[in-house]
Amino acid sequence: MTGTTKTITIRRDVTAKSKADAAVERARLARRGTLVVNLLSSPGSGKTTLLEATARRFASQHSMAVLVGDLETDRDARRLRPLVPTAQLTTGGACHLELPLVRRGLEALGDPQVDFLFIENVGNLVCPASHDLGEHLRVVLVSTTEGDDKPGKYPKMFRTSHAMIVTKLDLLPHVPFSVAAVTEDASRIQPDLDVMQVDALDGTGIEEWCEYLNEERAKRLAKYE
Amino acid sequence: MKTLLRQVDSIRCEHNADRVTEVRVEVGPLSGVEPMLLSSAFALLASEQTVAGARLVIDKVPLLAHCEACDKEFEVNGFVFRCPTCRGNVKTISGDEFHLLSVSLSEANAEFRDSLDPSSHNCSDTHETAS
Repeated sequence: MTGTTKTITIRRDVTAKSKADAAVERARLARRGTLVVNLLSSPGSGKTTLLEATARRFASQHSMAVLVGDLETDRDARRLRPLVPTAQLTTGGACHLELPLVRRGLEALGDPQVDFLFIENVGNLVCPASHDLGEHLRVVLVSTTEGDDKPGKYPKMFRTSHAMIVTKLDLLPHVPFSVAAVTEDASRIQPDLDVMQVDALDGTGIEEWCEYLNEERAKRLAKYE
Repeated sequence: MKTLLRQVDSIRCEHNADRVTEVRVEVGPLSGVEPMLLSSAFALLASEQTVAGARLVIDKVPLLAHCEACDKEFEVNGFVFRCPTCRGNVKTISGDEFHLLSVSLSEANAEFRDSLDPSSHNCSDTHETAS
């Protein structure tokens, strides 16, 4: 093949459109008073259990809804539905949630006007870190059974999070896990990270977590007024 | 990856070119894009006639941060985002990019143009719908 070749300079963010779409959704939900919280962690860290405890605590004070992502099944949604309006997002094999799926979940719930919308992401400390779902607050959970060396292994997840919650505090006497070590490891990557500790089964730390959510809601939504 | 290829093909169409010969991107360590995996995905997915055989060039962007308090810029090593001087938090100034830098296009001779499958060469339905 012969022919002429020309090079076109582009300099464009490949992900610009998805970032812009997420920003639009973030502003839309903020203006109607909804704080969107993206919950991320490894599988089995206690995201659903934390949401059950949060729903019980908030029951009479705040309205909330949950979108829960998994590859298959509606097991998490079935646990949460008795407590809070919940839509299950099934990714069919994909390792993370993306904004179009979140929108579909919101539609399934009738686009509810709630104080808090929790998105329980697919259990994975890698890919979900790279996808903006229009959230105002990104919270990563680390359970005491996972080991305190996780933050350094998954830097993007911890760099892009606002808060870290150490879960399964009741197991601390039985596992080689140091809250101080995990906090230090995470704060090297994100010095502004807020750190909390919970045992969602007996309720330890849930009051502090819910107070934190209220403060963050007031602070973060004020920016859109 | 599909978003990138859609953008590349839409640029080819805008410029009425027949083929893409090179795609140049820049990727930072915090982009979530792994250069080696991007290369193999490109080789697998860029099989359409107009992109087939195109070379993917990946420029790696260093992870740089700036400390406001000390007004100092430095390279982040081992993902430690603390200022080496004051230990405070720093602002990332580069390293989360996944940018399309340039696209090289070729105008083929008439013989090659005739050999192209019209459906793959058609630009009418390739407007950018990246998500």
